[in-house]
Amino acid sequence: MALSELEEFDPAHLTPEQAQALAASDLRGAVGWMVLGVAVLVASLRMDRLESQHINPYTVPGLLPALLGIAMIVLAALLGVRSWQRGGGVKNGPRMKLNAAVLRRLALVIALVLVYAVGLVGHGVPFWLASALYVSISIIVLQRPQRIEAGRSLSWRDVAFAVAVGVGSGVVITYVFQDLFLVRLP
Amino acid sequence: MFSGLADLGQAYVGFLNPTSIALGLGGALLGIIVGILPGLSATLVIALLTTLTIKLPPSNAILVLICSYVGALYGGSRTAILLNIPGTAANAASCADGYALAQRGEAGRAIGIATSGAFTGTLFGVICLAAFTPSLAEVALSFGAYEFFWLALFGVTMSGTIVGNDPLKGWLMGALGLFVAQIGQEGLYAYDRFTFGWDELSGGFSLIPALVGAFGLAEILTTLADPAEKKLVELKDSVLPRFREVFQYWRTVLRSGVIGVLTGLLPGVGEDSGAWMSYAAAKATSKEKELFGKGSIDGLMAAETGDMASIPGHIIPCLALGIPGSAPSAVLMAAMIIHGIQPGPMMLIQHPHFVYEVVAMTSLATVTILIFGLFLVKPLLLILRIRRTVLMPVIFLLCTVGAFASASRLFDIYAMLVIGIGAFFLRRRGYQMAPFVLGLVLGPLLDKSLRRGLVLSDGSITPFFTRPISLAFAVVTIFAILLYVPAFKAAVRRVTGGAGAAARSLVRRRT
Repeated sequence: MALSELEEFDPAHLTPEQAQALAASDLRGAVGWMVLGVAVLVASLRMDRLESQHINPYTVPGLLPALLGIAMIVLAALLGVRSWQRGGGVKNGPRMKLNAAVLRRLALVIALVLVYAVGLVGHGVPFWLASALYVSISIIVLQRPQRIEAGRSLSWRDVAFAVAVGVGSGVVITYVFQDLFLVRLP
Repeated sequence: MFSGLADLGQAYVGFLNPTSIALGLGGALLGIIVGILPGLSATLVIALLTTLTIKLPPSNAILVLICSYVGALYGGSRTAILLNIPGTAANAASCADGYALAQRGEAGRAIGIATSGAFTGTLFGVICLAAFTPSLAEVALSFGAYEFFWLALFGVTMSGTIVGNDPLKGWLMGALGLFVAQIGQEGLYAYDRFTFGWDELSGGFSLIPALVGAFGLAEILTTLADPAEKKLVELKDSVLPRFREVFQYWRTVLRSGVIGVLTGLLPGVGEDSGAWMSYAAAKATSKEKELFGKGSIDGLMAAETGDMASIPGHIIPCLALGIPGSAPSAVLMAAMIIHGIQPGPMMLIQHPHFVYEVVAMTSLATVTILIFGLFLVKPLLLILRIRRTVLMPVIFLLCTVGAFASASRLFDIYAMLVIGIGAFFLRRRGYQMAPFVLGLVLGPLLDKSLRRGLVLSDGSITPFFTRPISLAFAVVTIFAILLYVPAFKAAVRRVTGGAGAAARSLVRRRT
């Protein structure tokens, strides 16, 4: 059984099913934290102790990171034990999942954000133009399913509105930051 | 004392010019707008405005930020009242009573109560800010590496314990924040930690891009993953502030003010704790307990006074100790550092007038919310009618600019993306961002204090536990962690329960 991950629930009053799904998710989380903790500890122990510089041995750069690695390992172990006790290790028990529609929309939003911030910004395209493209396309792409759900298709008016908002916000933000407040833009 | 009053007077006069007033009003207005929008937080607006005001003179820049901080928390109450969704996390306690009043057709009255509670709460906090910051800084001047080590650890632990419902996850996030703060060049020998030869990582993760990711992008993803629009309750009656009710519920106002400031003093606890604790205290002592959650004016007044009083409360440790009280005050602290003012005990020596300037700024911010509470209530609510699918892409533009502008590094934009997407998935699983933020801020202080302390004691850890203030922080920190161990918690309950029963029987015998 899959419980929606976006479902609002009060952690203080979970149903047994929700609690078990959360425990299963926490168990996986505990493994992740444990791996991170061990990696941080190993990297800290292997870190240069700057003996060639004759530094005070109590000031080696890896000291605090190693302690943090140990703290993460201990906390991850506690989380793991707790989620196991709460039934997180039961096979075929309830699991937290994002439903397909939400997952699709999320993937789309992340893709749009990455194309804009990694692909367009800072690679020669003027900021206002990159921003206008991102905002217009995002509005069109995100509103289309809503319009279809409401029983009508996306009209030219909707597209014109999206382009106007995109160009408007790109130009206004560029003007306010760059020209009015003298902030450098990517 | 008189020189202090003269400095304070001078600070007020310094801001009485058209530019400062216009900037203050602008900051408060933007804060209110962001506060009204559910999910977008005070942290985000301060982070974004830090980049916008980077070229302004320090006093005007910090004025804008403080006004936006106060504005955002105040603005959030309207969404709580009209939509039953807290505009910022701090307004969650106002939802039940505010929305119940709105459904009875008294939305304007609820907004009026929120305005008067917010005004009185902030003003009370400002008085405490002026009165206690210099003395706390004076005490902190005697702090050494051992005290700062425990103070940093205490902050992250308390934040993990109190914020959210799961201390274990809170501490893990705190440890993660402390670890992320260690990435890059360390302070003593300029040695690159965890950079794997990647030069960009030498500069480490800056606070502002991390915050914009954790509080901006994560929220954009949450909203756009499920962009359902909720219906607003219509506003029919007058929204004028109700100061008559402040007098009527003066006990609640005073109690919530004190609770707000005290929770503000605890590092990393957040404004929502101020609101919830004030609300709980008001419910416990109120004559109209049964009305709580069903439109109680006492409850709404307590929540709104408590969260607003905690703003100046959070600024006190930020200025006096260099330890921020909440995520928004962490950004405020970062902004002060960007503008060349290092908060902490030395600030009173290096910038003696700055504390008074902050007091003046916070008082001005209080006046600005009163102005916007009197006018512009209805037009500002139009912002809630804008569709999320239109608003959020524009907010992301601001996030990109905000992440980039403080250091002009493309790396900061990528850091914002990674932290934002990571924060979205972590939040879904019950991990809170506030301990992470505090860890990120306090990581360098913890590292430096630990190593300095060990050099001073020649490797002995005894001074970490024997100096009186260190011992006090150590006991509280370790106690907070041990409370998570069921056997220890049961033992504490037995002792406190036993002591409570003994005290009760003693009182009964006397009466």
